[in-house]
Amino acid sequence: TNQCDIKLSSSNLTHVKWTPGKNLQVDLSSDLTSFQQELFCQKLQQCCTLFDFLDSVGDLKSKEVKRAALNELVDYLSTNRGVLVENAYPEITNMISTNIFRALPPSDNPDFDPEEDEPTLEAAWPHIQLVYEFLLRFLENPDFQPSIAKRYIDQKFVLQLLELFDSEDPRERDFLKTILHRIYGKFLGLRAFIRKQINNIFLKFIYETEHFNGVAELLEILGSIINGFALPLKAEHKQFLMKVLIPLHTAKALSLFHAQLAYCVVQFLEKDPTLTEPVIRGLLKFWPKTCSQKEVMFLGEIEEILDVIEPSQFKKIQEPLFKQIAKCVSNPHFQVAERALYFWNNEYILSLIEENIDKILPIMFSSLYKISKEHWNQTIVALIYNVLKTLMEMNCPLFDELTASYKAQKQREMMKEQERDELWRKLEELQVSRASEIQNNSHGSPAALNNNNSNNNNNNETLESSSDVEDTAVIMEDLHQDATDIACESVSCAK
Amino acid sequence: MDAVRLMKELRVNYEQEVDFLPREAGLDLIVSAHGGQITARSRDVTVEDLWSLTSFFGYSTQSFVQAVSLLDRFLAMMRVQPKHLSCVSLSCLHLAARVTEEECDLTPADELIRIGQCRFTASDLGRMEKIVTEKLRFKSKAVTALTFLQLYHQITLTHATYRKETLSLEKLEAQLKACLCRIAFSKAKPSVLALALLRQEMKSLQSEDMLEISFHIQRHLKIPDAELQLWSEWVARRLSDYASPKCSKPNHRKLQWIVSRRTAQNLHSHRSVPELPTIPEGCWDESESEDSGEDVMSSGDESLCSSLGSDAEGPFFPLHLRRQYLAA
Repeated sequence: TNQCDIKLSSSNLTHVKWTPGKNLQVDLSSDLTSFQQELFCQKLQQCCTLFDFLDSVGDLKSKEVKRAALNELVDYLSTNRGVLVENAYPEITNMISTNIFRALPPSDNPDFDPEEDEPTLEAAWPHIQLVYEFLLRFLENPDFQPSIAKRYIDQKFVLQLLELFDSEDPRERDFLKTILHRIYGKFLGLRAFIRKQINNIFLKFIYETEHFNGVAELLEILGSIINGFALPLKAEHKQFLMKVLIPLHTAKALSLFHAQLAYCVVQFLEKDPTLTEPVIRGLLKFWPKTCSQKEVMFLGEIEEILDVIEPSQFKKIQEPLFKQIAKCVSNPHFQVAERALYFWNNEYILSLIEENIDKILPIMFSSLYKISKEHWNQTIVALIYNVLKTLMEMNCPLFDELTASYKAQKQREMMKEQERDELWRKLEELQVSRASEIQNNSHGSPAALNNNNSNNNNNNETLESSSDVEDTAVIMEDLHQDATDIACESVSCAK
Repeated sequence: MDAVRLMKELRVNYEQEVDFLPREAGLDLIVSAHGGQITARSRDVTVEDLWSLTSFFGYSTQSFVQAVSLLDRFLAMMRVQPKHLSCVSLSCLHLAARVTEEECDLTPADELIRIGQCRFTASDLGRMEKIVTEKLRFKSKAVTALTFLQLYHQITLTHATYRKETLSLEKLEAQLKACLCRIAFSKAKPSVLALALLRQEMKSLQSEDMLEISFHIQRHLKIPDAELQLWSEWVARRLSDYASPKCSKPNHRKLQWIVSRRTAQNLHSHRSVPELPTIPEGCWDESESEDSGEDVMSSGDESLCSSLGSDAEGPFFPLHLRRQYLAA
């Protein structure tokens, strides 16, 4: 650590106006003088003055002076040793708190859609950015002592920090992410608290508000934490996975943080493979039913999980999983079908399938075969060929068997269809013939016959005598009975 | 069809089958060939591809068998370069399908080429078809092992109708298909190959009375014992290989996986390298149970945060949310 020629210009100590003061040269070889340190504290206090950036024309000079001062502070801290004496800590944390802990403004756009709209950026960023920078340098300083800092960086501090993660400004969240990551790393006493608060934020997000801008950043931090879990995994962590991370998949805005979420899930499984079954069952339970974009994400996550899965775990979930995959390949949305079919391009997944081909092929076969004839998208049809061919080569006799039984089943269905058509045709004939019978009875003269062959009304219109009413009632009953019988048969056919 | 007419038809086909045998010398050349020429392996792989296509497009086994017959005869007659093999085989399939399948079930040439992932055009295919037709003087369906198989099956059933359920023609067809995927069987006389398959199946069903019928057929056609025995052995071996879990993994050309642009983008973007370094969990650092308010003293600088507010204690999940997610 070389000492540079650092100057802190002493400034006028009035509250309102800033004027650059005299520059003081520092002797290169000497340690920081107490004068320097005092100046340091004074500058920190000066920076507690806040300016209104929504007013784009006011106080421009003062804003610039503060910005320069903040810059100086950052440089001073970064390049000197021995800055962090004990009494500097409260001044530093106070300056930081004053500047960044604020109520976030309500969004300009009440219907802000994070995926579509441009975010509202923080107006005071020119200052706030430097304050964040300063905080980061503070935490990463080689002289930093958590035992002193913890008096000031406490739960209240962390709580306020967490609230800021809801900022719409991605630059702010990026800083916060790194800062919280460092705090988690250095303050062991705060770890449980941080985890619990993140928990609360997520649960509130999932079940109450469905709004929070910082989910991705928090998940990224969690990823690095999960990566560092000791084995065996604590029950608390497993609960977090099942009760928070899995339900997090149901959020509408999943696309904003899915990559980070999937990373967390996979990290968990790499730590403890026995979690595979509950995880996959959880994902299957929450499988998207109407949102194709989400379905594609889920499929991507499943592939990531399969990439690291142990063969013994695979056996446990293969049946329910491939039942879902079979549905996906038949999905009329081409992106869903494509993504599912592309699994067969993954060597490791292929090896897992091959080992368990006798269970998997029957599940996949009929969907694939059916959709090869019916899907509208030509790319999909070509992919299905690849998949069928690959499966065929894994177990030829089984494939032959399934082909034969599929064809036999199709034959049976066709025959049933024909039988059903035949029945309806007979029914129609029956109605027509009975209708003409009634008309014959009631009029006696063929000339007066009303050649009304409509199914519904022909009986009602021509009635005149009560005996006819009786006859008709009987006939109607018979017809009704026939119809019910046929309906019952149809239903049982369908079953 | 009554038994007598069937036997007569059998004879007729038996007499014609020699016309449809591929030249033995030509087959031998293929079997002994090395790289740079069409080898037995490449022929077998091509036939397997033909089967995949047949199955995929819902063509009948007949189309497949006819195609293989055309292919073998052509390859045994002409010296074909390996790069043209797929074109030849696809044109054989297209020709065979045209005389076998219904008009409405025919797959157009360019779809055939696209799915088969071939590099030539539909007009190339058309020209090759003409060449094949010309060289083989192709007019109508060949007499193949399938012809005999179907006849044998019918004959057997007329003599043993109660066996209708057990002797499955479909199964026999599948087994024939398995044999045709190996060039060794192209040398066999179709009548003999079919009979060997029939007997193999009857043996596995352990039906003495059906085997009796097969003897009857053999005597009727005067098929020598030695020939039948030879091919029965080959068939048995092939079928046991076919059914074994270790299916031969042909290292033929890899399949192309073409996806839409959007899916391709999706595939490449999702694996992101995390930027934040791992934070190892200490074994002693954090409180085990959130309910405990005890300070866990440690050897290092850090100890539990001194300002324990109400948030550090209490249940892990806040009560009002706990109810909600339990119900979810």
